[in-house]
Amino acid sequence: MSDLQILQHGFIDYLLGKESGIDQHIQSTPTLSAGKRLNIYAYAYKARLKEAVTTDYEKLHSYLGDEQFDQVMERYIEKYPSQETNLRYYSIKMPALLRDEEPFNKIPMLAEIADIEAAFANSFDAKDSPTMSLNDLASLPDSAWKTLRFSTHPSIQLLSFNHNSFDVWKALSEDKEPPEMEHFSAPETRLMWRDSELITRYRPLSAAEATALAFARQGQTFAAICESLLDHFTEEEVPVHAITFLQTWVQEGLVSSLNY
Amino acid sequence: MKIDNPRPFLGFGLGLRTEHYQHVIEHKPQVDWFEIISENYMVPGGKPLANLDKIRADYPMVMHGVSMSIGSTDPLNKQYLTDLKTLINRVEPFWYSDHLCWTHAHQVNSHDLLPLPYNEATIQHLVSRISQVQEFIGRPMLIENLSSYVTYNESEMAEWAFLNEIAKRSGCYILLDINNIFVSAHNHHFKPQDYINGIDNERVMQFHLAGHSYQGEMIIDTHDHDVCDPVWELYTYALKRFGAVSTMIERDDNIPKFSELRQELASAERLAQKTLRAEQLLISGRPVLKGVA
Repeated sequence: MSDLQILQHGFIDYLLGKESGIDQHIQSTPTLSAGKRLNIYAYAYKARLKEAVTTDYEKLHSYLGDEQFDQVMERYIEKYPSQETNLRYYSIKMPALLRDEEPFNKIPMLAEIADIEAAFANSFDAKDSPTMSLNDLASLPDSAWKTLRFSTHPSIQLLSFNHNSFDVWKALSEDKEPPEMEHFSAPETRLMWRDSELITRYRPLSAAEATALAFARQGQTFAAICESLLDHFTEEEVPVHAITFLQTWVQEGLVSSLNY
Repeated sequence: MKIDNPRPFLGFGLGLRTEHYQHVIEHKPQVDWFEIISENYMVPGGKPLANLDKIRADYPMVMHGVSMSIGSTDPLNKQYLTDLKTLINRVEPFWYSDHLCWTHAHQVNSHDLLPLPYNEATIQHLVSRISQVQEFIGRPMLIENLSSYVTYNESEMAEWAFLNEIAKRSGCYILLDINNIFVSAHNHHFKPQDYINGIDNERVMQFHLAGHSYQGEMIIDTHDHDVCDPVWELYTYALKRFGAVSTMIERDDNIPKFSELRQELASAERLAQKTLRAEQLLISGRPVLKGVA
């Protein structure tokens, strides 16, 4: 290792609260020791990461309150030293932390609230993409339907909930008292996406539509999507439902291209 | 790498901040140019880039980065440089800049502007990396002096001599942050005027002005206050030394209304008008730091 590399590794270790020896490389002045000077950087490192996490998980913060949210942040920062070039992406593992680690996973709603906030951020600055219109759909030749596939808008996020976390998030967003935690007998799915005005939208999805949209996002053909709906509808009902789903997706700006 | 001389003068700019998007888009206030934080727009799409495009249609821009980590001993981040180049092609800025620092090493990003030891080995390291960046981007870059709170035992020269040498050998230019000179001068007990006198005039391309905060015996570069009187005095001193230099005010926290920042920028304009001749303050046409291999 070069001298500069030794120095930089030591500096980083100091920021992370590890043994480093970096203070041996720093000049002390009569009124301020090397350690106190280094602590300015150590304090700023944590403060900057906490600011990023606080910005990204505003509703989780409201739900937990300052003290408990600070415990979450402390653990997050300890577990995940930043490897991101852009601070925007630092907190993306928050749902995983809350899902995987005690005591946070004792309240499963926390990970789901974090999922919502992460999905908003991901939808907000997802890649731009053109969107198809109902005219484009109507102009498809009959022969297209056999092999028709779609590409969907990059801002689409599908969120699955085992609890009423979305209602809690919504109440917190409206500065209302959140409802008590409720466990669902079957998971509920919500769709989130960015519309043509760049506003992030969301709505619930039925189990059938969630299945169909998941198939569409995998690049499956319209025929395969129809087949997947046989678990939800009779053979006679499937085409009408499949077409209705597709028209809705096109109207909402979820379909970026029609390929056949 | 070469640029057209004499030094292009863009006039007086402000840092573009999200809090002011709506005001800028709706009212198109008079500002000569905006400086953007590059990383804020190094995202795939959505509102940040849509707002950027709208504002760029009405204003010239320069780009200022915080994450190149030019002084790091980790390899240059090729993905970062590719994304930066993509953004440069989109924005077509007058120039792009980053800091005389390192931010990432040992597989960790500090998200801070960490100082370097000022010695020959570090100069060689930086010159090599700046040259690689300039080659990849195809244009010379500006390097900014930072506020710092530590001095390494390994430092063998003054920061201004270190910065001059890097600029001379790599062909990069200097973004001189007047507030950072003031802050570091206080924290490391040197005269800020010595810094300004020591910098090579012909390498200076832009000035930054900003506010700071006192924390015990140290001054911290917080960008959360107005520019203070001693920094205005130092700015006047720098104008006398360098002449007209494109100047902008950085505000990153405790952000006031746009009109208040615009008034503060007017103070910089008035000082320049008092200090320099009118013909020195004529804004250049369309100066572009195009790299010539």
